[in-house]
Parts: sequence; structure tokens; C-alpha cells
Amino acid sequence: MEKLTISTSSITIGTLYNLSQVISRAPNWKAALDEIVVKVRPYFIFDNLVVYLSNRTNNNLDVFYAKATGRGQKGEADVAWGEELAHLHQVSDNHQTILQEPSKDEVKDRLERPYLLGIPLNLTQEYLGTIVFIRFGGPAFTESDKKLGEFISYLIGFLVERQNVKYEQELLQAQHQQIQIREDFLSNISHEFRSPLGFIKGYTTTLLRQDTSWDQTTQQEFLKIIDREADRLQELIDNLLDSARLQSGQLQMRYDLVRLEAVINDVIARARQNNPSLVVKFIVKTTLSPARGDPFRLAQVFENLIGNAIKYAPGSDILITIEQEKNGVVISFQDNGPGIPEKYVPFLFDRFFRVPDQSPNVHGTGLGLYICKQIINAHNGQITVHSETPHGTTFKIHLPYNR
Amino acid sequence: MSLILVVDDEPQYQHLLKVNLEKEAFEVTTAGNGLEALEIVSNKVPDLIIMDVMMPKLDGITTCERIRQFSNVPIIILTARGEEQDRVRGLNVGADDYIVKPFSADELLARVRAVLRRAHTTEQVTPNRYFVHGNLKIDFARAEVWKENKPVFLSATEYRLLIQFAHNVGQVLSAEDLLAAIWGPQYREDKEILWVSIARLRQKLEDNPHSPLHIVTRAGLGYLMAPLDKVNL
Repeated sequence: MEKLTISTSSITIGTLYNLSQVISRAPNWKAALDEIVVKVRPYFIFDNLVVYLSNRTNNNLDVFYAKATGRGQKGEADVAWGEELAHLHQVSDNHQTILQEPSKDEVKDRLERPYLLGIPLNLTQEYLGTIVFIRFGGPAFTESDKKLGEFISYLIGFLVERQNVKYEQELLQAQHQQIQIREDFLSNISHEFRSPLGFIKGYTTTLLRQDTSWDQTTQQEFLKIIDREADRLQELIDNLLDSARLQSGQLQMRYDLVRLEAVINDVIARARQNNPSLVVKFIVKTTLSPARGDPFRLAQVFENLIGNAIKYAPGSDILITIEQEKNGVVISFQDNGPGIPEKYVPFLFDRFFRVPDQSPNVHGTGLGLYICKQIINAHNGQITVHSETPHGTTFKIHLPYNR
Repeated sequence: MSLILVVDDEPQYQHLLKVNLEKEAFEVTTAGNGLEALEIVSNKVPDLIIMDVMMPKLDGITTCERIRQFSNVPIIILTARGEEQDRVRGLNVGADDYIVKPFSADELLARVRAVLRRAHTTEQVTPNRYFVHGNLKIDFARAEVWKENKPVFLSATEYRLLIQFAHNVGQVLSAEDLLAAIWGPQYREDKEILWVSIARLRQKLEDNPHSPLHIVTRAGLGYLMAPLDKVNL
């Protein structure tokens, strides 16, 4: 029998420094282990290495990393990989390092005589798993080997823990974001409701003041404001209900033959009535056949898009075009306002989404475009947006003829 | 005739308040945000300010805080229903009263009259907007600091530290009291933070940081801003 004398010589500061570099740069603990195994080779020889990690929910041990070097590579799956050792309670509960030596029987094959060094991976009190170093046929692990093994185990334990924490942090962040969106919506909605209510309350109590009286013109002015705010409240409630119905699939479309250009003209006329200074150009680029759609809901979409242009691109002209293509009709709404920053565009049609940092003076629920998209989708159509700050925004609706 | 400043970013609220107050023979001027309000107050202090808390650029609470650094003008804040922390914060930074939106016109006027009544019975001390100390000048309204007419950029903490001294000229302030006032009571014993901050302040403000004229050390007692007559002009 060969006599192998391999000793774990004192490790140098240089190697320790290299190990610390590996740890600080490692993208993950497995990559770190790959490098560490190579770097400690001159000082610490082993044939196989296994890392078992404890499953947090049911305390089972699973293999997360295994490496066969030298003699270990011959054995493949036919050798012991230290499973029984890893499962020993002394390692997991008592955080004890265990050395296991093979039986003294004379056996020819080295691979049947494994020397095992099992070290717990733990951070402070919590047991994370066990790392097992295996030597086939000896020599036995020495005290220095044990110390070096434990050192490596501390480093790996640290990395594993860090990765776990990062993963959990990402989970929490995703959850937090969801909650945040909902909270933002609720706070936004209550602001939206309070605004018209504030004016209704304010102006009615103003008119009701006992200690003074208002002339006819002023009374009319106040009453008009109250009326307008009541309309705003109504619109708000309608939007909320529509959004809720769309969410639960309860909104029914009533299909009919629709003259889209007539619907659009109506919407434009109403918009001009409420905003006398509004400039809207409507171009019908081709002849149009009547389409199948819900005229009321389509009008709702067009009104919302014009309303948005008035709100978010104040003073801008609005250009609306409609043209028939071979399989449907395309309607576009274009303004020359400030446009929408690119990073927000993917979220524009999300329910409750509002472009952040709006002045509290600009009212909106984050529901309008969501509702538009649902209505257009129900028509098997598509609505898209293109915007380039500061040149303006264009919404395009594509409605197919055959559904 | 009393002058009331109405600060609200919504023109419709400005209008609502204005029509009611003008009926009561008040003179009303309006501002759309905190910065505008500060400019107006710095030029001519009104008899009362009614200020919304939710405004862009500078919110109502911060504006109130800034105004309180150089004026005791009565302030009523307008808060939203359900936002209790706005009321608490507003009162803590020096607002005299609050009104919750939506409000009735009668309630608004009753509170305006009550606050004005209280204001007339207390002594009105209106300290200056500007503080001058040798070649140093502080503009409380804009939270700006000037050295020899060139702007000095201070961090929020450095500015707060400086105005502690400015409001207590000639008075020795102990390290513990300064730490508690600027950083919080749990920092009373963390002397090093104060040393570094005063050193940084001196670097920015003093002609010779090692022989400071503005912020002076009193060994064993604390620090003070030297009395005005001791500062060379």
C-alpha cells in the first residue's frame, strides 16, 4: 500500500487575502466554491465535496453543490457522498464538526474507504446546511484540515445567507409595489372625490349664508359651478363602476352598425361646447363603410382620448384622423403637448396608473385608459400609444371589420 | 382693513375663499404655491394666511415652517378630510388653526374671525426676514445664506445648525442641547457629529476657520454666535 504523506501546511496571508477577494466578488456562492476549491488545493486536499442545504420549510437536506476531484471522479455515483454524515443531528442541531473514518477492514479499493469531514454551515444561530469533504483511502483529516474546513464553511455560510436574504428582499419588494399601487389609487380616488364635493359644499353654503346676500349674477355663477362639479362627481362614479364591471367581466357591449365618423363628430361637438377655445381637426382620409360596434362605448373611448388631450396637453391642437384599411379601420388622436416620458409608456393602460409627479390640480383616476383598452379589446381591436417628449402624443385605435 | 393671503394651487378654491372673504370686507390677495406665498409675505406681512397643505413646488407645511422663522402672522391651514397627520404636523410647525376640506362657508368665516381675534390680543413681534452678521447674511424666507454677497451652499443639517445660532446670538449653546435640537434627543452624547458639522460650517463661512469670528467655541461650555458688536464689519 502506498504511503501518501500530504500535510496541510500553514496557509499564508496571501492565500487568505485571495479567499477574501473571492468572497467579495463572487456572483453567487457556487461560483465562489469553485474558485475556493482551486485556491486551497495546495493546502487542503480532498476527493469529493458536497454541500447539503436545509430546506427551510420542512428541514430536509438537499444537495446543492457537489464536486469530484482527483480520485473522486472515478467513482461517480457509486461512492458515498456523505449523506448519512450530513444528516447526523450532531452536525445540524449541535453545530458540531464530525470526522468519520472508514472501518478498519482491509479492502482493496480505496473508493470503499471514505474519510469524511462534515462541517455545519451556520450563521449565528440558524443552521443552513452541511458541507462534507471526502477523502478516499486517507490520509485522515488533521486538526488543521478541520480548522481550514470550518473557515471555508463560515465563508460559504455567509454567502448562502446573503443570497437567501437578497431573494427574500426581492419578493418583499414585489409585494410592496403591489400594495403601493393600491394605496396610491385609494389616496388618489379620495382626492378626486373630495375635490368636487369640496366645491359643492363650499358654494352651496356660500349661497346659504344668513349674514349676507348675493346678487343675481353671482348666484348664477355659483350655481353653474355647483352643477359642473356634480357632473364631475357623476363621471367619477361612472368610471369607477365601469372599471369594476370590466374587472369582473360584467360589462356587456351592445353591438350595432356604427358610422364612426358621425360618432367622432358628436364627441368633438360636445368637447367644443365645454371648451370653446379648443381646436380640433378631423380628417376622414378614405371612404368608410359602417362598422360593427357599441356606439355608446366607442364614444366613451373617443371622449376619454380627447379629454386626456385637453387635460394633459392644454392649449394644444388636436388632430383626429380616420381611414379604412384592408381589414379594418384606423383612428388616430394626436396632440402637440409635452408628451409622455418613455419609462411610463408601458404602464399607461394599467388600471389605476397615473403618470407620477402631476400637479394635484390636474385631476384623474388612472382608470380612463384602462377602460378604453378594455372596450377596444372587447371589439377585438387594438389601442396603442406613441409619444416623444416634448413633441406630443398619438393614440392609435385599430378596429377590425371581421370579428 | 385686514389683508388676507389665500394660498391654494386650485384657482377655484382661491375664488371660493376670495368671494366669501371680500363679502366680509377683507382685502384678499392670492398665491398659487408656497414659493409665491413666501415672496408676498416677505414684502408685506398680511394679517392672516389661509394655506392649503397640498401644493406643488413647496407644500403648505414646509411653507408654514419657513414663515415661522421670521414672522408670527396667524396661519390657518386647509387640510383634506381623513389626513390627520397633516393637521398634527401643521399645528406642530406653528399653524394657528386648521379647516378640513370640504368645509362650509360659515365655518371658514367663523375660524377666520376667531384667529384674528386671538392675534389682536397677543403682542405681535415680527422679526426680520434677513439676518446679518458681519459679512454673513441669512434670508430666512428663502433659506439662503450669503457670504460677502456670494451664495453659500449648506446642507439641510448645516443650515438648521446655523439658524440655531442666528436665533440665539450672544448666547452660549451647549453641545448636548444643539445635538438634541438638530439631530434628536438620542444624539445628545454623540459629540463627534457636532464637531464635524461645526468644522464644516466654519470651512464654508469663516474667512479663517481656525480663528472663527461667527461661530465661536467656549471651551467646556459649548458654542455661540458672537455678539454683533464683537464682529468686525
